[in-house]
Formats: sequence, C-alpha cells, structure tokens
Amino acid sequence: MLYGWIGKALHIDLTEKKTKIIELDKEVLRNYLGGTGLGLKLLYDNYDLNLDPFDPRTPLIFAAGPLTGSRMFGAGRHSVVSFSPLTNTVADGLSGGFFGAEMKFAGYDAIIITGKSESPVYIYIEDETVEIRDATYLWGKCVGEVIQTLTNELGRKFRIATIGPAGENLVKFASIMNDRMHATGRGGLGAVMGSKKLKAIAISGSKKVQEADVNKLMKLMEDVIKIRMTWNPALNRSLKIFGTSALVNVINAAGLLPTKNFQKGVYEYAEEISGEALRERILVGTHSCWNCPVVCKRETKTDKARGDGPEYETIVNLGSMILVKRIEDVAELNYLANELGLDTISLGGTLACACELSDLGKLPEKIEWGNVDQFKELIAKIAKREGIGNDLAEGSKRLAEKYGAPHVAMQVKGLEMPAYDPRGAFGMALSYGTSYRGACHLRAWTISFEVIGIPMLIDRFSAAEKPPLVAYLQDLAMVYDSLVMCLHYGNEFDEEPLADVLTAVTGIEYSKEGLLKIGERIWNLARLINVKRGFSRKDDMLPPRILQPLDEGPSAGKKIPYEEMLDIYYEVRGWDKNGVPTKEKLRELGLIGE
Amino acid sequence: MEETSLDYLVYKTMREYAKRLVIRNYVTAHGGNLSIRSGNTVWITRHASSLEDLKPDDVIRIRMDKPVGFDIVASTETPVHLAIYRKSSNLAIMHAHPKYAIALSYFYDELIPMDSEAYHVMKRIPVVEGSPGSQMLAENVSDALSKNHAVIVRGHGVFAAAKFMDVAYQYLVMVEHAAEIIYLVEFFKQTGKKFITPKIF
Ligand code: SF4
Repeated sequence: MLYGWIGKALHIDLTEKKTKIIELDKEVLRNYLGGTGLGLKLLYDNYDLNLDPFDPRTPLIFAAGPLTGSRMFGAGRHSVVSFSPLTNTVADGLSGGFFGAEMKFAGYDAIIITGKSESPVYIYIEDETVEIRDATYLWGKCVGEVIQTLTNELGRKFRIATIGPAGENLVKFASIMNDRMHATGRGGLGAVMGSKKLKAIAISGSKKVQEADVNKLMKLMEDVIKIRMTWNPALNRSLKIFGTSALVNVINAAGLLPTKNFQKGVYEYAEEISGEALRERILVGTHSCWNCPVVCKRETKTDKARGDGPEYETIVNLGSMILVKRIEDVAELNYLANELGLDTISLGGTLACACELSDLGKLPEKIEWGNVDQFKELIAKIAKREGIGNDLAEGSKRLAEKYGAPHVAMQVKGLEMPAYDPRGAFGMALSYGTSYRGACHLRAWTISFEVIGIPMLIDRFSAAEKPPLVAYLQDLAMVYDSLVMCLHYGNEFDEEPLADVLTAVTGIEYSKEGLLKIGERIWNLARLINVKRGFSRKDDMLPPRILQPLDEGPSAGKKIPYEEMLDIYYEVRGWDKNGVPTKEKLRELGLIGE
Repeated sequence: MEETSLDYLVYKTMREYAKRLVIRNYVTAHGGNLSIRSGNTVWITRHASSLEDLKPDDVIRIRMDKPVGFDIVASTETPVHLAIYRKSSNLAIMHAHPKYAIALSYFYDELIPMDSEAYHVMKRIPVVEGSPGSQMLAENVSDALSKNHAVIVRGHGVFAAAKFMDVAYQYLVMVEHAAEIIYLVEFFKQTGKKFITPKIF
C-alpha cells in the first residue's frame, strides 16, 4: 500500500484521442518525490529531449506530490513540466489553488498530455472517467469566462485549469490559469497547451490521500508546524496583512526595486504602488489556497474593474518597470493579463524593453513609459498577436534582437528577470543566472537572507558566501516543488521538519540530508536536460546592464563579480567550467550507472 | 586587487570582523585568524598578519582539494581550518584568544553556559587540547566543531564555525560572554551569598 502517493499517472494522447493509466515506479517516487521532480524524471526517461516545445510529441505534464492533498498546510499545489517556447529550456511552473489537491483526490499523481487535437478540446476527469470533449465554444474566450462556463456546466466541485487567448495564439509567455487566480506563469507553458489545441482541464475527485502515521503527523502539525508558523513574522504577519505586496517599500528602500527596465533601483512612486496603497485603496477581500492558514491572496477592486492580485512581482513589472504610478492602474493591467492568460513578469519585462527600444528610436511605433491606456491596448494586441503585439508576443529577447538592441532585454536564457535587481543583492545574480528555466527568483530567493533577515541577515553585497547559499536554496526549492509545498513556507521550514512530515505521510524514513540529496538530484537532472538541449555556461550570463553598477540609491556603485561567483558555483555543484555536471557528480546522484 | 573583485569583497568582510575582534580585545597584536569557504576555495588570513589592520594582501586564497603555492604564507592554523571544513558543512571560521574562556579552560573540560541565551544556542562548549598548528589540534577541534558551534582550546583560545561569518562571530562572542558569567558567578559565590537557581530558564 502506498501512502502519500497514489502510484498512478494518467496519460492522454490528444492525437489518437486515447487515454491510459501508467503505474508509477515506487523507486522513482521515492527518489524524485513528485511535482517538479516526477515531471522531470518522466520527461527524461520517456521523451526525446530535443523536441521542439510545440512538437505534438512534447509532453505537458501536470504533477502533484506526496504531500499534495494531505493534511499538511500549504500543500494544495502542483507543478507543470514541459519544454518552454520562450527559452527552449526544460521548464516547470508551480501553481497554488486547489487543482493539485483535486488531481490526487481523482486518483492521479500526474497527468501527462501528448499529441495535438485537430479542433479545440477540453479534458474532463471525474475520478476514473476521462473524456476528451469539444471546446470549440470555449476557444477565444478569456480565463474568467471559461472557468465560469465550465463551472456552470459541470458543477462547483470541478477544479479548472485553462488557457486564455494568449495561449491559443502561442504567445511565448502565455500562462495556464487555474481556480481563477492561480497562474502557472513562467516560460510560456500556456502556449504549449495551446499548441495542442487543449483549452482546459476540468477535474474532480472523491478519494482521500492516505497518510501512513496520522498521529505522528497531527503531533508534528500541533507541536512544530503551527507553533513555528506563529512566530515567523512573514507567515504570521506580513503575508497575512499585505500578501507579497509587503515587499514593495522594503525592496525600494534597499535600492533594488527594478525601475524603468532596470535603469534604476529606486522608484519615486513606490509608495503609490506599495502593499500599503493596495491595502488602503483597492483591497476588498483575501483568499487562500487549499488548506493554508496564511491566506496571502488578495482580491481587489478599482473604479473600473475587479479581480485578483496583484502580487509583488506583478506590481513591479507592471508598475515601476514601465513607470506606472498608481496601484489602481497596476491592478487593472494585471486583471487584463490574467484574463488573457499572460505571465505578468515576462509581460512587464517585454513592455519595458519595448519602451526602451522606442526611446532608442528602434521601433516602428512610439511606445511611451507610463502610458496606461497604450499598455492596455498593447496587452490585448499581444494576446491576439496583432500588429506590433506580434513582435512583443515573442518576449523581450527576440523583440530586442529583431530591432537591433539585444542589450535592452533584461532576461536570462530568454526569461525576463523578476522584481529584484541583483546589484542590490548579489545572491540573486546567481539565482537568475543558474536557474534552469531562465531568470527565476523562486529557486533561490536569497532576498530572505540578504534583505529581509529571515532566518538571518547576511551582507547583501558579499560574493563568496553566495554560491553555496544559492546551491543549498535551489536544492531545498526542488524539495518544496516536488512535495509539492508552497515556497512561502520556506521562510520558516527547512529540510528537517519537511523530512519529518514526509516520513509521517509516506511511512518511508526520510532524513534531512537524504531530502536535500533528492533536491540536488532533481536540480542536476534539470541541468542535464538543458545540457542535452545545448545549454551551457554561455547561457548562464546576465544582461550587460546588470554587470555595471547602479548610478544612484542605496545599492549604487556595487559591481557583481559574476563570473568569479559562477566559477565557484559550478565547483560547489560538481560541474565543470562549462557548467556541465561531471560524471562523478551524476554517478553520486544516481543519474547515471556505476 | 580590483575593488570589485570577489577577493576584495572577501577581504572587506574579513577586515570588518577582524576589527570587531580587536575592539572586543579578543586578540593580541598578531593573534587570531579567520577564514571563509566557498566551493573548494578557502580565503584565510595570512600568517602573522595583524587583525588590527588587515590589508588586502593579508587574505590568502587557498584550495581545499589541492595544495597551492600560497599555502606557505597562510595562517599556521590552516590545517585546523581545513579539517573543520572537511568534517562539517560550516563555511566560515573565526579563531581568537578571549581572556575569560582561556582562563576557565584550565578548570573545566566543558562549559555549560549559565546565561539563557548561550545555553539555548550552544548547550555546551567543549574544551580540547593541542598545540597551535598541530595535527592533534586539527583533529580535536574539527571533531568538536562537527557537533558544536564553538570549542575552547585549553590555554589557547576559541574556534567558532558557522555557515556565515556573522554567525560564527555571534558564537564566539557568546562563548566569551558565557565564560565571563560563569567566572563572575563562581567569584561571587565566594562571598557566601545564597545562589538562586532560576525556575524558568
Ligand atoms: S502562503 Fe499564500 S500562496 Fe502559499 S499556499 Fe498559502 S495562500 Fe497559497
């Protein structure tokens, strides 16, 4: 009997219109957990690693983990794994909400979708009943309408993941939205879904996740998890009160708030787009994901519209990055992006890149900083790939290359940089540079150590301490993303309590060292897939602007010794000078045979 | 050394913490040493450098995995530092000669802190033996630091280790503070006053 896991994956071939159940190997589950780890392993073992993201044979894998749907807090999440049309790397996206837990209740650790339908379809899953249904009537519709329509048709018990028009039109940074407000945002996995003519997945299940030692789990929850959550200021206070938007003023005060396409690290209107402004002026409600007492999600309303968010990353990318001055305007841009199914980080980064290209006289039309009405029009054009929107739909890297100024694209591997300027927190430089899906803040959020001071405050401009810290945080993030648990809990819980919880749920003895080793294995597996796709050290570079100091603000004058840090990072990882995992390392992690 | 190089940034950290040790009177003219590890690279203070005025050249870059020419000018305590790194996941080490810890080491095999902060963080501070730079010292200290945050070398000084220099510094300060409290309590007991054991600690 398996505890935690179900032991089954559902494979759906949209070309053949066939479905089948795959029994998952217990050793694979034990060594790769679930979520991102399981998704990467299924991809690595069963598919051509050089497939184009839009090739019908490319799998789109939704994967839950052993904790997903269990009693543990913050574990309603799932991971989506495929190849990214934006970066061409292997990519995963984590999303909260309820969809992940529902996958488990329906009886699946993973749903693997391959092939391509001739006409739009959606997948209907109710426990063992799986149907590929016509979705012609949903094609072209926005996210909210799709979810509303399917909920009306199928009932409220169904959890729905869908793409918007952006995914249908293969916008390279299209997202997959689930449970209305939760996004699998990064890397354009919504476009992979669109390329398969798959509009949505609706799922409902009636089973329970079996836990091996319920008493031990309950005791851990009472004695450790709940108590430590109360004393953690992020989980217990700021996330509850402000959501992630609490960071705007903090990051601005430290001089690393990306402003005007990373031309500056301080934004004079930060207060106007801050968490405080959000709370005072537009907040109307709060939400949480499945079984999470933190409740960090915001529902907001302006004069003109109502919707969810914006989160911190969105506030920056649709705020200071493009010089939007009011939280109401940021919120409306965010509602629009969510409805159309666009990743707001890449969207903001691409708009900022377009504004700068326009300043340089490189674009055929003028795009103005801070012009909210123009941004709204552009966002709609991006989703439809109309006019200049067709160029922007390719993301900042291709846009800037096409118009002859590649240096103004603030990206790594083609993925737009998130909302921390690494010149104000050197760990983030490595975090962005070495993340397998491109510039990503989530896999080593060193901001916690470098700016916030949880669990401790270290010098944000020091360099030698950062490679081991980044590697450790990445391994830990792989554990979180494979369990699957919300990374906000990483503010308080490291590998030790996670190992205890996982042991209680699965009945398999996990040690803290063993768990981190699993994280390291998954990280190396992702790197290995990228190496096979032609990625190496050259792709871990940061935009030239980031390697020059900021001119003003509290982070001014600091130059990141990036290549030296990268050398040491590779050494810490056991990779060669070109960033390729050595045979010894792969052997040690069981990724190749003896 | 370029002011934006990684070596220089390490030097700045080392200089900052060296200064703090000096201000606290934890080191004498040329005593004490510090190191930071990242990957297989270790930065350590130069042999006979003065923590009172650390210069960029006083921070030496050596390797964990192979000998380098600069080993010759690195601190005489280098074998101790490397042994600590080999036996634990620590990435920063601090060694100094604070007075109370040294004085008490002649009377104890381990210190159990009497102040609550040090007690909760350190639990115990072992005392080991070994002459400076010796293999025996390297083994005793690294063994002790694989299980504890800090160790006192009898009649010599304190080694503290952590993932970050700032934390190693906190541990070192905590050891000396704990030693001073024990000293003062023991001293005060001589007056014959009644010792009150805290009910909540
Ligand atoms: S902390 Fe926020 S994002 Fe994470 S599970 Fe809870 S509500 Fe969802």
